[in-house]
Amino acid sequence: MKGREHRLGMLYALPVAGFLALSFLAPILLVAAFSIMPQKVFTIFHMPDFSAYGEFLAQGYWRSVAWSLAMAFAATAILFVICWPLAFAMAKVFRGFTLVLTIGVVMTLFVSENIRLFGWVLTLMKGGLIEGHIRHWTGTGFDGLLYNVPVIVFGLVYVYLPFMLFPLAQGIAMVPDDARQAAFDLGASRWQILREIELPLAAPGIMVGCLLCFVLSAGAIAESKLLGGQAVIVIADEVETAFTYGQNWPLGAALAMVLIAIVGAIAIWGISKADLDAMIGRRR
Amino acid sequence: MTLTRRSFTAGMAAMAGASAMLPAGRALADRSSELNILCWEGYNTDDVLGPFRKLNAGATIRAESGTSDPDMINKLRAGEVKVWDLINLNQPWARGQLLPEGLIKPLDKERFMPYFDKMAPEFAAPYPLAFADSGDLIGMPQRYGPFSFVVNTDKISREMAEDQGWKLFLDPAMKDRYGVLTYDNWNLIHMCLTGDLNPFKPLDEAGFETFTGVAEQIFGGAKLLTDDLVAMNTALINGEIDAYFTGGTYTASPARLDGLSNVRGITPKSGPVDGKGGVVWIELTSAVNNPDPSPLAEDFLEFVQKPEISKAVGFAEGTYNPVAQMGDPEVAALWDADELDAIQWDSLPEEMANSVEYDTVADYDKLMQIYTAAKRS
Repeated sequence: MKGREHRLGMLYALPVAGFLALSFLAPILLVAAFSIMPQKVFTIFHMPDFSAYGEFLAQGYWRSVAWSLAMAFAATAILFVICWPLAFAMAKVFRGFTLVLTIGVVMTLFVSENIRLFGWVLTLMKGGLIEGHIRHWTGTGFDGLLYNVPVIVFGLVYVYLPFMLFPLAQGIAMVPDDARQAAFDLGASRWQILREIELPLAAPGIMVGCLLCFVLSAGAIAESKLLGGQAVIVIADEVETAFTYGQNWPLGAALAMVLIAIVGAIAIWGISKADLDAMIGRRR
Repeated sequence: MTLTRRSFTAGMAAMAGASAMLPAGRALADRSSELNILCWEGYNTDDVLGPFRKLNAGATIRAESGTSDPDMINKLRAGEVKVWDLINLNQPWARGQLLPEGLIKPLDKERFMPYFDKMAPEFAAPYPLAFADSGDLIGMPQRYGPFSFVVNTDKISREMAEDQGWKLFLDPAMKDRYGVLTYDNWNLIHMCLTGDLNPFKPLDEAGFETFTGVAEQIFGGAKLLTDDLVAMNTALINGEIDAYFTGGTYTASPARLDGLSNVRGITPKSGPVDGKGGVVWIELTSAVNNPDPSPLAEDFLEFVQKPEISKAVGFAEGTYNPVAQMGDPEVAALWDADELDAIQWDSLPEEMANSVEYDTVADYDKLMQIYTAAKRS
């Protein structure tokens, strides 16, 4: 009986597995194949020489990878800190207002990321909404708030907020109120409850939110281009340059593979730690 | 009517059979009512395509804009010569690569030579890069524009910028006062000129060293880098920067048409290539060597020579540019004073005289490597 169930499960999973193999695995395998080709070729039918990876090390591309990962890490940490209270309120305190908040946050996703970021350019630039008003009121202005690393991190935080907020709220909703009350009754402090009850029980939500934000931020490009004025060159930018102006597909593919490998390893580690079944409500 | 399983199966078989026949039919299809154009933005607007569609009711006219010359050429190389009928690129490629590789074919000289007579003097000669060594006509010029750098003339006077030329960006006083418009292939040319190097000839070791120094200094002193001309113009207008490296009529014209005539493309008065320091791009539209060509290709190329269509091409949405056809007074009369000011019509002949033709960069790969490394640091 068990064997039959297992076989049926495999059978049901086949279409999805096929779809994933075709739409997700195949492109990555193609990129991987390109990444080991000699440089400046446009087909995968050459003798592999791995020289593109040598170029990655020799030309200091690791610096762009480091910048992307560091900014993604900073954005994820900031997002966690600012989303936790909000998500807590959505899950436990607000009632009807949660829906309003959800709609409000989701609505922002209907507008293209570039347009939203350009709105921030107009707000933060010299003579823009903020500096312009301050200069008008006080008579002294300053140099604008754009074109630096903190503003890129700000952009990441702004754009990826929904991707932290909703999984976190979902995770916090899984913390039973009884457990918190019991801890209170037993004399736990507020801090102890957070550390020993809420964080561990909401861990799947935290992990999903952090992973989503980190992975998306690591591959982000628009924030650095529009808000940051390319104050630092992110790895996605390097990949784009290699494929277009550089006309060096193997180099672009190698750069992409390095990012995929790092982010993939972190994601697999994270997913292995989180009990995703618990989050979708299928507990065993 | 009831559908039996048998009739359903028979129907499916018939459809499968018919679909198997389709590709063969398609290959032999008459392309007289189809035209595919691969171009820079402008030719794909309704102002240009709309009237042509009206003239050829029933025909399928499609135009797709590319983001760089090499990208578009790559499409033809990848086998899309079967798809496209016309290709619109900057001047060096038709003679340098497309014709030798058999990707384009000569145009009907009898049909098109008379149009050169009415063009601006630089093109009426006629324009050398529009011809093969054999004398065949391989492309028709239309839009063009000097492309060097842009300043805010309220902060840096036009005379000073023209006199100082590219050295303006090496001046320590300019640190953090300019941006770099990252059109990478153009940046390479302009950085060579800044270092008194000729980008179109191979460089020696000393040349590469000079280029490295210039690239590091230009990126080191830049307040912002972006490949978005709107973002760059915005920074220039609000005073965040006073100039930007790489730019010209093409990038300054949208701001100028909005009345900001202090945004001005500058062509240096002197430089390292035959005494010239400015660069000019000129688009050529060529007939793709499609094995199954559309007769509409040359019709369209002739159609865009018309005065009002020339204007629509020059004044397509986004950026505004002079067109070679403005040598004809009837065409030039279609531009009003503001529009002429937007394309810096007053200084155009002088800027053209101080510019060399955009060409392929001799040491592109090596310079690109130095350039991206400098950008990163």
